[in-house]
Amino acid sequence: MMGTKEERFKTIFQANSRKIFHLCYGYTGDHDSANDLMQETFLKVWQNLDKFRNQAMISTWIYRIAVNTCLSYLRVEKRQPKEELTENIIENQAEEFSEKNEQVALLYKCISQLEENERIIITLVLDEIPYAEIAEVSGISEGNLRVKIHRIKQKLTEIYNRNERL
Amino acid sequence: MKDFEALKNIWHGQTELPKLSYEDILKNIRGTKSKFANKLLFQVIALIFSIAVMLYVLFKNDFKLGTSQLGITIFVICLLYYLFVQIRDYRNISNSENMLDKPDEYISYLKSYKHRRYILNTRVYRIYMVFIALGLALGFIEVFFTMSVWQTALAIIFTIGWFLLCYYVFMRLYIRKEEARINEMIQNLERLQAQFKEHDELV
Repeated sequence: MMGTKEERFKTIFQANSRKIFHLCYGYTGDHDSANDLMQETFLKVWQNLDKFRNQAMISTWIYRIAVNTCLSYLRVEKRQPKEELTENIIENQAEEFSEKNEQVALLYKCISQLEENERIIITLVLDEIPYAEIAEVSGISEGNLRVKIHRIKQKLTEIYNRNERL
Repeated sequence: MKDFEALKNIWHGQTELPKLSYEDILKNIRGTKSKFANKLLFQVIALIFSIAVMLYVLFKNDFKLGTSQLGITIFVICLLYYLFVQIRDYRNISNSENMLDKPDEYISYLKSYKHRRYILNTRVYRIYMVFIALGLALGFIEVFFTMSVWQTALAIIFTIGWFLLCYYVFMRLYIRKEEARINEMIQNLERLQAQFKEHDELV
């Protein structure tokens, strides 16, 4: 019985862990915190695995757990200012960075300058999650979400271009 | 100048992977479970042991005054209440059903949970302290009869002084700190809730 549960968990983990990591990284702007949040998310997934049995869209529920985990995380942890934090990451890991990786780091830095809900929505958009699923995860109607996504895209592009010039 | 499609390409070019594997997560799940069970077990054993000692003292000693029995009984009730609160909170923590709520609803749940914890850490804790003090005071009445007047007076002054210090200094400091913490948390949660509610007013 446990074996079956572990097998299911493994399949779910392999299918979703990367995107959940992106979501957590986008939210915190910090690699270690993202790993902590991802672990917390999958711990909750394990605890609720039996309730997922009849769910067609398992990924939606996993994203929901991840989003709620992110939302409660900042309430507990006192974090460094995100600007400074991301600068540190860039400096500390400089040797590993190619130009491509620098662009990725800059993108994460720009995402961390958005509001919390905007960070969540845009990482899901970047990972090409269907709008209907993002609406379900965030509890926002699809119409409202489209308007919001349009604004966030513009805002993020603007922040990125401003930072790239520096 | 990059457009959003260019940002999307950058995003898909990221190579950094999560540090955790499926095996790490499972190992942590087992570890957390047993750590939680051990902690709870230890607390239950410690409390049962304390209650057993209290009951032994209550029945084995030939107390002259009813106040001693009443004091010990109040103490035992306080310990049982503490045990109940601990188990209830651990159950709430391990029951993660709310994680599946919509973010807006989840934030509401977090707010009410934080508020409940605040009430527990302030008002309920204050009542708990008063009863512990009452239990001790009642228990000491009989002990005072075996001591000289001076010793009794000193013990009473010291005990009352200690309780006043705890109540008016330590507990007020603690409550003030707790209040500041909860207010900050609630403010942050309200800010987040506003972010998620805002969307309904957009169209």
